[in-house]
Amino acid sequence: MGRAIVITSGKGGVGKTTTTANLGAALAQLGHSVVLVDADIGLRNLDVVMGLENRIVYHLVDAIRGKCTAQKALIKDRRMENLWLLPASQTDDKDAVTPEEMRKLIGELRATHDFVLIDSPAGIEQGFKNAIAGADEAIVVATPEVSSIRDADRVVGLLAAADVPARLIVNRISPNLVKKGDMLSQADVIEILALELLGAVPLDDIVIATTNKGVPAVLEGKGLAAKELTRIAKKLAGVEVEDKEAVGFFTRLSRALGLSASPA
Amino acid sequence: MWNGIKNFLSGKSSREVAKGRLHLVLAHDRTGLEGGRLQEMRAEIAAVIAKYVEIDSDGVEIQIETRSRQTQLTVSSAIQPRSA
Repeated sequence: MGRAIVITSGKGGVGKTTTTANLGAALAQLGHSVVLVDADIGLRNLDVVMGLENRIVYHLVDAIRGKCTAQKALIKDRRMENLWLLPASQTDDKDAVTPEEMRKLIGELRATHDFVLIDSPAGIEQGFKNAIAGADEAIVVATPEVSSIRDADRVVGLLAAADVPARLIVNRISPNLVKKGDMLSQADVIEILALELLGAVPLDDIVIATTNKGVPAVLEGKGLAAKELTRIAKKLAGVEVEDKEAVGFFTRLSRALGLSASPA
Repeated sequence: MWNGIKNFLSGKSSREVAKGRLHLVLAHDRTGLEGGRLQEMRAEIAAVIAKYVEIDSDGVEIQIETRSRQTQLTVSSAIQPRSA
């Protein structure tokens, strides 16, 4: 039985879809079978980010309505052995499906794949409720900005109420701005949201270029963002990874000497 | 550069300002208490305190703040010395 993970944020435009596409591709590269589910009914985008927009025949609502089986609605990503996309419908409303129907669909997909990654729509209404319905864990994506963190906090509260454990990805962090004191650091975001950190993805122009081409950055293997996203995928899959926190020499030394606490 | 100078003069970077603002905003978001309701509560608490000790009702301050998902309500008030 695979794991169903919803990627969500509250606020739009923080990189949910790009994160979903890259984590999915990276998990597939690691040898897992992965289905990406676009739960943003009416505003589908995961297909274009993946570069699979020309191959859509059936979509999520078709599968739920019984127009086809869930397996038949999946588009195979030909670049990889074991990556599939279930696109959203572009013509239906968010309330075309119910949380119960989503739970059943995700359950079917989990039975045949290692990972089901659900790309949630922005907002905290029906579309969000549908997206989290079938998930047993959540990744909250937030950029280091006041508005994004505020919305993420609402989502964290709603996930807790729904009993879905959540972890955090801080997206588009600029180490230079943090150093200058003009951007919240990943530590600040963790402190405010009180979530376990999966990773902090640096702002990286390469992601814009690869997304233009419909290729997840991790497949091109270039850039710091791709590197971090691959690391996060390994962490998700339970592969031991070094937590690449920028630890200075003296911090390491004092930790080694037992003078300061090691991070948990 | 200019930011650097401003930060130096005010002693606060924009990062610290953002953090402070978030702590306050999230505390209100998490309790669901809007500004108006909070002021109503402040006035009621001030009235209760004034029943027992002499205070300046307008000087009663109320604050909600959040640290690591724990939200704390703080009411502070100066108490005036006994006049008689």
